[in-house]
Amino acid sequence: MTDTNNNLLEMRGVTKRFPGVVANNNIDLDVRYGEVHTLLGENGAGKSTLVKILFGLYQADEGEILLRGNPIDIDSPSAAIDSRVGMIHQHFMLVPTLTVCENVALGVPSDRRPFTDLENVATRISDISNEHGLAVDPWVKVEHLSVGERQRVEIIKALYRDAELLVLDEPTAVLTPKEVEDLFVILRRMADSGKGLIFISHKLREVMSLSDRITVLRDGEVVGETTPSETNRQELAQMMVGRDVRLTPDLPESKLGAKRLELSDLTVIGDNETVAVNKVSFDIHAGEILGIAGVSGNGQRELAEAIAGLREIEPGSSIELDNSDVTLCSTHERREKGLGFIPEERIPDGAIPDFTVSENLVLVNHGDENFTKRGLFSFDSIRSHNVELVSDFDVKTPSIETPTSSLSGGNIQKVILARELSAKPTFLLACQPTRGVDIGAAEYIHNRLIEQRDIGTATLLISEDLDEVIGLSDRIAVMYEGEIISIVSGEDAERNKIGLLMAGVTD
Amino acid sequence: MGDFFTTSVLVATAASAVRLATPYLLAALGETIGQRSGVLNLGVDGVMMLSAFFAYWTVLETGNMWLGVLVALLVGLMMGVLYGVITVFFEATQGISGIGIFIFGLGFSDLLFRQQVGTPKPIRRLPNIDIPLLSDIPYIGEPLFQRNLMTYAAFALVPVTMIVLNKTTFGLNIRSVGENPQAADSLGVSVERTRFSAIMIGNAFAGLAGAALVLQLGIFQPHLTQGMGFIAVALVYFGAWKPLGVMGGALLFGLVNAVVLQWKALGIIPVSISDLAGMAPAVVTIIALVLLARRVNAPAALTKPFVRS
Amino acid sequence: MRKKMRLLTSLLALLGSFVLVASACGSSDDSSDDGGALTMAIVAPSASDDLAFSQSMVDSVNALDREITLSITDGTFIVEEAAAAIRGYAEDGIDVVIAHGTQFGASLAEIAPDFPDTTFVWGTATDTQGLGNVFAYSPASDEGGYVNGVVAAAVSESGKIGVVGPVEAGDAVPYINGFTTAAEAGGAQVSVTYTGSFGDVALAAEAAQAHLANDADVLTGTAQMVVGAVGVAADAGVPWFGTQSNQTSLAPDLVIASQVYHWEVVLEEMLDLRDSGTKGGKAFEINLANGGLVIEFNDGYDLSDDVRASADAAIAGIIDGSVNTGA
Repeated sequence: MTDTNNNLLEMRGVTKRFPGVVANNNIDLDVRYGEVHTLLGENGAGKSTLVKILFGLYQADEGEILLRGNPIDIDSPSAAIDSRVGMIHQHFMLVPTLTVCENVALGVPSDRRPFTDLENVATRISDISNEHGLAVDPWVKVEHLSVGERQRVEIIKALYRDAELLVLDEPTAVLTPKEVEDLFVILRRMADSGKGLIFISHKLREVMSLSDRITVLRDGEVVGETTPSETNRQELAQMMVGRDVRLTPDLPESKLGAKRLELSDLTVIGDNETVAVNKVSFDIHAGEILGIAGVSGNGQRELAEAIAGLREIEPGSSIELDNSDVTLCSTHERREKGLGFIPEERIPDGAIPDFTVSENLVLVNHGDENFTKRGLFSFDSIRSHNVELVSDFDVKTPSIETPTSSLSGGNIQKVILARELSAKPTFLLACQPTRGVDIGAAEYIHNRLIEQRDIGTATLLISEDLDEVIGLSDRIAVMYEGEIISIVSGEDAERNKIGLLMAGVTD
Repeated sequence: MGDFFTTSVLVATAASAVRLATPYLLAALGETIGQRSGVLNLGVDGVMMLSAFFAYWTVLETGNMWLGVLVALLVGLMMGVLYGVITVFFEATQGISGIGIFIFGLGFSDLLFRQQVGTPKPIRRLPNIDIPLLSDIPYIGEPLFQRNLMTYAAFALVPVTMIVLNKTTFGLNIRSVGENPQAADSLGVSVERTRFSAIMIGNAFAGLAGAALVLQLGIFQPHLTQGMGFIAVALVYFGAWKPLGVMGGALLFGLVNAVVLQWKALGIIPVSISDLAGMAPAVVTIIALVLLARRVNAPAALTKPFVRS
Repeated sequence: MRKKMRLLTSLLALLGSFVLVASACGSSDDSSDDGGALTMAIVAPSASDDLAFSQSMVDSVNALDREITLSITDGTFIVEEAAAAIRGYAEDGIDVVIAHGTQFGASLAEIAPDFPDTTFVWGTATDTQGLGNVFAYSPASDEGGYVNGVVAAAVSESGKIGVVGPVEAGDAVPYINGFTTAAEAGGAQVSVTYTGSFGDVALAAEAAQAHLANDADVLTGTAQMVVGAVGVAADAGVPWFGTQSNQTSLAPDLVIASQVYHWEVVLEEMLDLRDSGTKGGKAFEINLANGGLVIEFNDGYDLSDDVRASADAAIAGIIDGSVNTGA
C-alpha cells in the first residue's frame, strides 16, 4: 500500500464518457512528491483526457481527485492553477506577438492594478530562470524564440504560478535530441526539488530514461504500472498495443538497381523568402531507402514539395527521375514517370476528408481507362478495385463509402499508402509516414515500405522520428538548415552521432 | 491654386479635415479594440446610425446636448450587448451577424425617424471651445484647439486606448484572446468575458461616433452615416490595428475629403470632373494602403469564435 | 449550440430586413377605399418628408382639389425596389401611379405597356419615351434659380456666393445654371461644388464650410443632403436660398427665399386629360408662368424693398419672356 502522506496527487476511479466511447474507465493514478510519473499509451488511449480532467478542462463523470491528501473539485483551469497544478500543453499555449513577460503575466493579478507590472514580472522570471536553469530573455517577443526556448517559457509560466504538480503533455514532440536531453536535465532537477511531474509520451526511449514510475493506458483503462528498472522497451510496447510488436523491422540485404532519382544542386526558396533548401545533391537507386533525418523546419518539407513538383525550384537546380530531367514537369507528369507521394499532412494534402474512402483511393488515377469510359465513371470497376485495396492494405473501415474523415489516423494513412502503392511507383517519396499513427499501424506501414524496397522501388523517407529513420534506411542523410551535412550508411549509424548532426554539430 | 495656399484657406481646410475625421476616428478606435480581442464588427455603421438618431431625438426633445451624448453611449452599449451575445455566447459567424446589426440599425433608425420626427428639424450644433493659449498658436491653433468637445474626446481617446491596450492587464487580456484564445483560456483568462467587454467598449465608441456626427451637423436624416462605419472598419486595417495608425488613417481620409471640397469651391477642380474627384478619398486611401503595405498581421484569432476543445 | 446560433443569426437578419422593409418602403394608405375616389400612388426615392424632392410631390398630390386615395412607397433608393412597387400598384388597379424619379424611366418603359388602363406619371423627365399611357413632368428650375440668383447677388457684400449641389444631373443642373447666370449678371462671383452624393449630409456641410473659408457670404444648394449645408449657413449667420421645398424651417432667420415645386398644377391637367380619355403621351413643365413654380419669400428675413422689387421684376421678366435664364 502506498503511504498517503507521500502522495501529492491521487486520482481514484476516474471515469469519463463521451458519446459512444468511454475515454477513461475507472482510472487510478497517484503521483508522489519528487517523482516523474509517466503516462504511456497510444493515441486515443485516454492520456490527454485524464490530464484535461486534472486541469479542469473536462469534468469527470465519476471518481475523485485528492491533492495533498484532500479531495478537491477542479472545475476550471483557474481552479487548477490556484491548486498549484501546472500544465505544459502539447501545442504551446503562448501568444506569439507578446513578449515572454506578457505571456507569463497573463491571467495573474497585477500588484499595480489596473496596470500591468512587467518590471516585477521580469525580475521574478530571472529568479526562476536562474534557479531552474531555464535561460530566456523576458523582454523578447515569443515569436522570435526557438522551439526549445518556447518550451522553457511554458515551464516558467507554470513555475511562476508556483506549480507543485506539473503535467507535461508530449513535451518532446517538437524538440531536437539535444533539446530533449537539456529538457530532461531540467525536469529531473525540478523533481529532485520536491515537485511532482506527470510526463505524457509514447516515445519509449524517452520514457525509459526519464521516468521514476510508468503507468500504461490502453483503450481508456490502466493496463499496468511499472518502473524502468523492471521493464524494457519491448515489454512496454506490448503493454501499449496489447499484442506482440516488433519495434525495429528487419532490413534484409538490399539489391541495388538502376539510379531512379538524382538531385543536382537543388535550391528552393521557402515561404518566408529565405533559402530553405541549399544546393542539395544526392541520388537514390532501385531497392534502396534513403532516410532524411533532421529536426522539423530544416528544409525537409520544401525538399519534398520540390521533388513532388509542388514548389518552384531555383535556376541551376535539376531533378531527374529514371535519368530523364523532370525539372519542368508538372506533378501529374512526374507521377506518370513513376513518382509515388505520401505527403506530410495526411489531411488535407494526402486525402480529402469529406470524400469517401473509395473516392480518395482513386483520387489520382480516376482518369485511367479502367475507371473512366467515355468521360463517365465506371463505378463497378472502381468498386472492385477499391474493395480489393481495402482488404489488401488492411484498412479498417465500415465500408468503402465511409467518409474518410471518420477513420483513425492510421487507417487514413493506409488509404493513402494503398492509393500510392497500387500505382506501382518506381520512386516513392514518403514524408512522415507514421506520424501520429498507432504502433500497430506504424509496424504495418514499415513492413509495406520494406516490401516495396525489396521489389525494387527507390524510396526517399523523410521523418522526424529518428528511430524510424535509423530502422528503415539503407543510407541516412542528415539535413540541417537546408543542407545535407552528412550521409552515412544505415549499418554505421550511431544514434548519438546523428542526434548531434541534427543539431548542426559536425565534428 | 494660389488661392489655396493662403493662411485662411489652409487653416479652414485643416479644420474641416479634423471635423470630418472625428466620427471616423471614434468608430475606428472602438473597432480596433473589438478586433484586437478577435471580434470583427461589420455592424458599426448601423450602431452609429441608431445612436445618431437617438442623440438627435433626445436633443430635439430636451435641448440637452450632453443628455444626447449619454443616450447615444447607452444605445451603443445595448447594441454591444446584442452583438456580444450573438458572437461570443452563440459563437455565430461574425461577418454575417455584423451585417445583420447594420441592417437592423439602418432600418430601425429610419423607422423611428419617420414615426417620431418626420421632417428634419435643426438642433443645436456642438459649439467650438477654444483651449486657452493653445488655440492662439498660429496655423495649428484653429484646426486643433478651436474644436468641439466630441472632437477633443475622440483625439484624447487615442492615447487612452493605447494605454489600455498596452499597459493594463485588461489590455493584455484583450490582445491575448485576439491572438490565441486557447492560451488565455489555459491561464484562467475568461475569453468570453474579455471579448464581451471589448465589444461593449467598441460599440460604445461607435455610439459616441454617431453622437459626434449628428451633433456636428445639427440635423438628422435617414441613412445619415452613408457607410461611414464601413470606412471605419477599413481604417482599422489601414492603421494596422494600432490607435495611432487608425488616427493617421482617419485624418488622412478627412484631409483628402477636405482638400477635394476646398479645391472644388476654389474651382481648382472644375465641375466637369467633379464627380470623378469625389472618388479621391477612396483612391488615395487605397494607394496609401498599398505604399505603406507593411507586413503586419491581423490578430490571429480575428473572426474566429472561441470554442474550448 | 450550432443550430441555435444559426437560428439566432437568421432571426436577427430577418428582423433587420423586416424593419428595413417596414420603414424604407413603408406604404401608407391615408384614407379608406371608398369606391368613388380616384386612386393614386407615389413611388419616391427619398423620404416623403425630406423637405426637398420627394416631399414636393407628396405635398402637391395632397393639394389637389379632388377626392383621392393616396398610397406612398418612399425611400426606394434602389431602382429595382421602386420598379417592384410601381408594378405592384399597377397590378392592384391603382388609377394613377407616379414614378417620382428620373432613374425609374427604364423600369417604366417595361412596365407601362403591360397596364394600358393605368396612367403612369413620370418625372423629372421632358418626354414620355413614346408611351401612350405615360405623362412626363419637369420643373423649369432654372427660373427659380435665376430669381434666387438676382437676390443673392444683391445681398452679398463680399461678392462671393457658394453653391452646394449633389451630382451633376437632374433638376440640379438648370437650377444652378439659372442661379449662376443671374448672380454673375449682378456682379457676384459664383463657386459651385457638386459633392458627388445625394445623401452625404456631412460632406454637404463641409462643402458649405469650404465656401465660407473662401469668403462666400451667401449660400444656396439643391437636393436632400443640403440640410447639412443649411445648418452651416445658420451657424455662420449667412443667408440661404432654398429650392424644391420651402426650407425656411431649417434656418428661420436666414432663409431668404425658396423656389417651391407645385406639381399639382400639371397633375390637375393630367387628371383632366385622363377623365376625357387620354391616358398619357404628353410632357408637362411647371414654371413661373403656369404657377407650378412659386418663389416663397421668408417674412422672417428683412429683405430690402429694392431687392424684393428686383426679384419681382425678374419673375415678371421670365414670365413675359424678356429675361433669359441662360439655361
